[in-house]
Amino acid sequence: MPDIYVAACNCNGWTRRLAGLSTSAQWKGILTKIRSFTVVFTLLIINKAGGLIYNRAFDSSLAALSSNDSLILAGTFHGIHAIARNLCPPSALPSSTLSSASSTSFTSNPSASASALGTRATPATGIQVLETARFRLTCFQTVTGTKFLLFTSPEQPNVDAILRRVYELYADFVMKNPFYTTEMPVRCEKFDRGLVGFLVGAR
Amino acid sequence: MVVYSFYIFDRHTECIYSKRWTPSTTSNNKAVKSNALSNGNIPPAARKALSKEDDAKLIFGTVFSLKRMVRQLGGEDDSFLSYRTGEYKLHYYETPTNIKFVMLTDTKTNNLRIVLHQIWANLYVEFVVKNPLSPAEHPGGVGVSNELFELGLESFISQVLTA
Repeated sequence: MPDIYVAACNCNGWTRRLAGLSTSAQWKGILTKIRSFTVVFTLLIINKAGGLIYNRAFDSSLAALSSNDSLILAGTFHGIHAIARNLCPPSALPSSTLSSASSTSFTSNPSASASALGTRATPATGIQVLETARFRLTCFQTVTGTKFLLFTSPEQPNVDAILRRVYELYADFVMKNPFYTTEMPVRCEKFDRGLVGFLVGAR
Repeated sequence: MVVYSFYIFDRHTECIYSKRWTPSTTSNNKAVKSNALSNGNIPPAARKALSKEDDAKLIFGTVFSLKRMVRQLGGEDDSFLSYRTGEYKLHYYETPTNIKFVMLTDTKTNNLRIVLHQIWANLYVEFVVKNPLSPAEHPGGVGVSNELFELGLESFISQVLTA
């Protein structure tokens, strides 16, 4: 754990201050200042139908939402995520160049078009990162359609690594739980404990 | 940096200006409708037959909902800046008079909020607001796409952004 604090302080230029600290009270004083820089606020998990199945706040800096409001927010984000996928400009899709190349080579070289037929065009993706002045929302969508929304402070580094770790915890403690029904609200104590241990300590 | 499109919405939730760029040509066109390939596969680009108006309405709805969501989560003074998907990035800037500027670019662009502010201050205010012949409100986009504004915007985008 101290390594994480030192790493966080390195990027904020506080290493010299930390060198002389010995008491935990002094640590706490510094840590309350560091806390404002890189924080994970909330984790939301949305199932493939757009329903909220997990909602946990690790820090109270963001406005606390009632459970009804969080449900509405999850549904709204699910819809906006899909609309953002449809808004993708056609020239931004990476497969547009592939399809135009295969159309010209079809008559001259059937073998080349056969290989082009075999590759599937990657579909457009929805919102991955949303930036505001106060927080950053990162959305990781699994291949099964489950979305992991992580609200962090804008300067938080390594959000992708954090999300990957959360996904690992989800796979280990929620998916492999024989009593858990998929697409239902997550009530697994081991998952909660793993998250708290990982996210609260990573501040 | 590639700019895909640019929209201006007024405070009556109407799109008063929109512009799209296609990568092959230099001037602005409507989105080119691609034909089906001879082997029968429709390329993904052909499924997007959204017209300019539909696009603008979708974008406004998305931006409006996101703004409301951000205000709910971050407090009253938080503001939505931008969002990024795997293929494009949408930048947003709202003036105190509730005029909204939206720009879609590629994913590698940094925050364009300052650029949108410049477009507002140097192009929109100069050529649209200060134009004595243009009306105070712009229902249906009347008065916005005058020649100076278009020229200024084209030169700004081509020289400053994509250079």
